[in-house]
Amino acid sequence: MSFRWSRAAAIAQKEMYHVLRDRFTLTLALGLPVFMVFTFGFAIEFNVKNVPLAVHDADKTQTSRRVIDTFGSSGYFLVDPVVSPAAAQQAIDGDRSRAALVIPGGFQKDLLSGGVAKAQLLLDGSDNSTVGPILGYVASIEAIASRRIADFDPPKPIEIHTRFLFNPELNSRWFVIPGLAVAVLAILAVLLTALTVAREWENGSMELLLSTPAEPLEIIVGKLAPYAVLGLVGLAFVYVISRTVFALPFRGSHVLFVLGGILFLATYLALGLLISVLTRRQQIAMQLAMMAGMIPAFLLSGFIFPIASMPAFFRYLTMVLPARWFMTIARDSYLKGSTLVEMGTAFLALGVLCVIIIAIAARKFKKDLEP
Amino acid sequence: MRTLRAFLRKEFKQALRDPRMRILLFITPMIQLTLFGLALSTDIKNVDLWAQPDSNDYLLRRIYDRSVESQWFRSASGDHNADPFELVRSGKADAALVSPPGGLSRAVARGAGDLQLLVNSMNVLEAQAVEQYVRNISNAVIEDDLHIKRPEFPISFEVRVLYNPTLETAFFMVPGVMCMLLSITTIILTGMSLTREKEVGTFEMLISAPVSATEVILGKTIPYLVLGIVQIPLVLAVAVFGFGVPMRGSFAVLLVASVAFVCTTVAIGTLISTIASNQQQSTMGGFLFLFPAILLSGLMFPIENMPAPMMWASYVDPLTHYLALLRNIMLKGGEGSFVVKHVLILIGMAVLLILASFRRFRTTLQ
Repeated sequence: MSFRWSRAAAIAQKEMYHVLRDRFTLTLALGLPVFMVFTFGFAIEFNVKNVPLAVHDADKTQTSRRVIDTFGSSGYFLVDPVVSPAAAQQAIDGDRSRAALVIPGGFQKDLLSGGVAKAQLLLDGSDNSTVGPILGYVASIEAIASRRIADFDPPKPIEIHTRFLFNPELNSRWFVIPGLAVAVLAILAVLLTALTVAREWENGSMELLLSTPAEPLEIIVGKLAPYAVLGLVGLAFVYVISRTVFALPFRGSHVLFVLGGILFLATYLALGLLISVLTRRQQIAMQLAMMAGMIPAFLLSGFIFPIASMPAFFRYLTMVLPARWFMTIARDSYLKGSTLVEMGTAFLALGVLCVIIIAIAARKFKKDLEP
Repeated sequence: MRTLRAFLRKEFKQALRDPRMRILLFITPMIQLTLFGLALSTDIKNVDLWAQPDSNDYLLRRIYDRSVESQWFRSASGDHNADPFELVRSGKADAALVSPPGGLSRAVARGAGDLQLLVNSMNVLEAQAVEQYVRNISNAVIEDDLHIKRPEFPISFEVRVLYNPTLETAFFMVPGVMCMLLSITTIILTGMSLTREKEVGTFEMLISAPVSATEVILGKTIPYLVLGIVQIPLVLAVAVFGFGVPMRGSFAVLLVASVAFVCTTVAIGTLISTIASNQQQSTMGGFLFLFPAILLSGLMFPIENMPAPMMWASYVDPLTHYLALLRNIMLKGGEGSFVVKHVLILIGMAVLLILASFRRFRTTLQ
């Protein structure tokens, strides 16, 4: 027997009814991308502001007040006066403040006598999301306070002018939302497929399907088609919301973006299928889908954590992760406007991984079916 | 009580019958923690930097060489006449130094040393770090090569980073990953185990069996509660012995917080299972809860920065409180009033959620 589209289409139709009948899953599958783009879009801001700063001023002079003012008016800190240096440290211990400024007595006197007025700044090292940015701000506040209060403006032999390319305002949304296209596809494709097919095995209906005249390959194509459609609809949702609600630019080619999406989707559907063949139980399929599909897509794809900063072993490991390559394609399409040639490596790698994973999944599926 | 014990025995057997499940439940959290503790870093490194090679421009070369010597940058390929913008666009370089016409050394001699830095800012965090690195390196070059002493600001801050003075990334990441792994396994697995009964039709059997609704729900959820609690010392051992994350507070307090937290997540899993009718639905429902819960917990993104409605949402997120407790107890030694407050909040949430899930479960049983 040979592959026939009509039979695959019949199975796809049956599967489509299945999905459409299950309102709950359908709502979740379509609601998830929308929900994720909105929460990520509104919640994420890397440019830290409103850091609670506990301040103890033992000097109580014009100078010390102006220093505190400089912190307050920078927009980065919310000043919260405390009664003693110990209370400042306690504020950090109790997570009420992320930083503390302790100005010793004699601060103004030190400055007026031509020396250096030193204040202590304590930072909370337990929270990675704030400590890095605050360290960056401190240097500039030091310079601003010295210029404003002591009229000190040292010459700078080398002045660095930074031009931020592709995201000039350092907008956190521009950084995060294109990556969500990858995350959303990863969840929908790998999880839904792995679970649906594992379910067929769990309740024995896979045997039933196999006893029909349909070929294994037809069954695969038929079963996966509706999920491919769901994935593409999810991708479309991400695109539309990103462009309308969050006004992201899209500088590249839509054709390439969609092509990358389809390649990635096909790879992840095959991965989901492979997982379901290997496990045949939904609870285990879910755990594996998470390990092999979703967690890498979130954490090892360069979504938030840059790949270049990882240790060498992980840098090479990410090369076999389809999510990494689609991440490149999605970001470059949105922000850089790269051409096919410029994204050649990513497309080539994604294509090769796609073929390999589909081949393994199809082989494993066929082999398991033969008596 | 006897019925419950028998029920529990059956449930434990069922959950752990599959050897693959045993591996997944106990070994994967440790593997994942190890992987992510090693791989993920907020410390930016290996940024590909390009500068136009010019043998006459001593200062530019010094800045470039020192950049590459530091582990922060690597030298990017790109020929002599390359257009720096194109290099960054094509991805051959992440950042490029462009000296003023005639070279940086001459410009500095003229008193106008403007050095342009082009940075690919698609990754906001990376772009900010790169700018900071180049500033620091250029300051060092001014001091060492131009022999101009770094100006001492008349007003200066002595900065001390408490609890993690060397800014070890593992100290930051490990408590967060612990919190994430624990909530994922307990919520999703509890939900799936309960809906599985519905799916294969054994739920009706449970109803007709001579066990009360309370026994059913306790019997079904306690195993996952125990599995979650057993994971805590395992994961903690990897954190402390594998990554050297300090454990400055009391283990008993941490355990109390963890039990309260696992109670909330198991109750959430139960609630989801009462809405879902099959395992696929309950998994999707679980993730629909988990994504925002992880996002709003302060694990990767500061809560202080979120708009007000999101901030309120993060206060009712059990992950926020558990993560805050983990960080506070492990790194800071656990400040009394803070720990009490957040443990009480977690216990309160656990009680509310358990009551709600009992009620919902009873109605679905009838």
